Amino acid sequence: MMDEYKGIAPKGDLLLLRKLGGVFAGKSFLHVNSTREGGGVAEILHRAIPIMESLGIKVRWEVLTGDAKFFDITKKIHNALQGHPEAFTPDMWAYHEEINRKSTLDLGADCVYIHDPQPAPLVQRREGGTWVWRCHIDVSAPQKDVWQSLKLFCERYDGAVFSIAKFARSMPLPEFIIPPSIDPVSDKNRELSGREIRDSMDKLQVPLDRPMLLQVSRFDRFKDPIGVINAYRLVKKYNDCILVLAGSPATDDPEGAAVLNEVKEYASGDPDITILLLPPFSDREINALQRAATVVLQKSLKEGFGLTVSEAMWKEKPVLGGAVGGIPLQIVHGLTGFLVHSSEGAAFRIRQLLNNPAMAKRLGERGKEHVRANFLITREVRDYLSTWYSLVNPNKNILEL
Amino acid sequence: MTAPFEFKQSVILLKSTGKKARTLAELRDLIATISEGSIFHHTYQYFLKGHILEYTNDFSHWAGESIEESVLAERLSNLDPYDYADIAQLRKELLRIIDAFRATFPEPREALPRDEFFFNEAVTLVFPAGIRARNLAEFLMAVKHVDASSLYYHFYDSRIRQGGEKNDFSQWFEQELGKIGLAGKIHSVDPFMHSLEGIRDRIAQAVEEEVTQDMESAGIMP
Repeated sequence: MMDEYKGIAPKGDLLLLRKLGGVFAGKSFLHVNSTREGGGVAEILHRAIPIMESLGIKVRWEVLTGDAKFFDITKKIHNALQGHPEAFTPDMWAYHEEINRKSTLDLGADCVYIHDPQPAPLVQRREGGTWVWRCHIDVSAPQKDVWQSLKLFCERYDGAVFSIAKFARSMPLPEFIIPPSIDPVSDKNRELSGREIRDSMDKLQVPLDRPMLLQVSRFDRFKDPIGVINAYRLVKKYNDCILVLAGSPATDDPEGAAVLNEVKEYASGDPDITILLLPPFSDREINALQRAATVVLQKSLKEGFGLTVSEAMWKEKPVLGGAVGGIPLQIVHGLTGFLVHSSEGAAFRIRQLLNNPAMAKRLGERGKEHVRANFLITREVRDYLSTWYSLVNPNKNILEL
Repeated sequence: MTAPFEFKQSVILLKSTGKKARTLAELRDLIATISEGSIFHHTYQYFLKGHILEYTNDFSHWAGESIEESVLAERLSNLDPYDYADIAQLRKELLRIIDAFRATFPEPREALPRDEFFFNEAVTLVFPAGIRARNLAEFLMAVKHVDASSLYYHFYDSRIRQGGEKNDFSQWFEQELGKIGLAGKIHSVDPFMHSLEGIRDRIAQAVEEEVTQDMESAGIMP
């Protein structure tokens, strides 16, 4: 498995992974989350576990199951932690805890990573090993009572992991920052031949005769699809180009359909705007779109980490992004892409890039190297194991291997 | 007998302190009390980012970009962490620069939400790169190909381990190879003005010149 990343991931990451594998070979590692399919966490686990196993670590992945009532409560917890107010009653917390308490999951392992709030109370059943709460969401401005209740569980872990520093909350335990990552050998990011790209574009009915501006994201107001169309229209006055907005339907987002309709209506009458509603798991098509694009946008107004930015950068595309969430970590302004703050700003940068292919190429090349150094899955697995190593060697700032 | 140069490399694992500053006054107060590890991370380890922008540490970066105080950013960028014997002195100098600025200029605006200064620290993992050089020619081959984090470890991080006086490369050139001139040349490369790749190019160039000279002196090259 590690051989697949040879020549792709930084040598140092692979070397450290092997060193950490040497330390932890034969030990057991357990991941627990609440869904096997769908969502970023499941996607990361599907890719990370084979790498960990190839290092000789005995890895298990358990999924906490619950009924509709449980997931309704955890959805509310999820929303409230991200600052969207929800009403809670003591019964709801009791039920959340009860499902965790009654679960029959085997939690015995040398290191246990519990992902997100749903299974957080499992820590009450810990018997041994190193326990880490891996929080993938932004809990920097939560509904206070909800955080207070959840914190009682979180504080019982040996350590916590957040995706970026600004998503974290202060707790009396070591808190690590581990950004998410992309897998360079997955269908979404692997190299595609020119033929494969052309075939996908034919299938999606996207012409390749002019420069393509692309945004891949859910149809969500925070992704600002209307702002992207406005930017495209400003560009179009000077440069002939097409715009593709591609996204999957978000089944858990009742607003998604309404936003999609708004976008379609706003774009209507312009044959050079293509709106693609792709089925879930359209990884190959997204890969082809990103590779066919001339400029990629992620003009979000609010964002989690925004990994579509790294996906496009990995394909050496110049990327424009809103300066929100994890995007500024990926786009070093002027070096690996451009951060933009308005449709006008986006339009100006797009025009610069369309008129200066050498600049676009330079940003794309640097962007790819920035992703290689910071946002590949080998680095994320390296950091998970390093966190474990740090927690079993507490109070040390320098660890020699 | 010459001891070979063993290349090591380092990786940092970022930790949040949970502390953040929205205003310059808050930044100042937190710099006064935050862990030494955090000051270390935001100054010395800035070079690990690998990009050379207009700034040389996270504090100047935040002053310039997040509260848009160019004068303060410029003053903080001129701070050379290797001038100070320990973090306590470096902390004192950071506070002096900020206090002097606040005594002269109006209080800057607050940073926008989520653009606050987040105080982090880091755990450094050090491990052998599996590459060793027994002479200058082998060193030249190695330095062209080692991971950038190895350059950071030997060129930047070593200055702290060696009290700011030497980097590992210069130390080896001088002590093991007797190359005092080359050691000085490498040590005089401005650590603030180049990316890690830029540092690599300069070291490789200086070593290549030395190897060529040696070969000419030995009559191997015309």
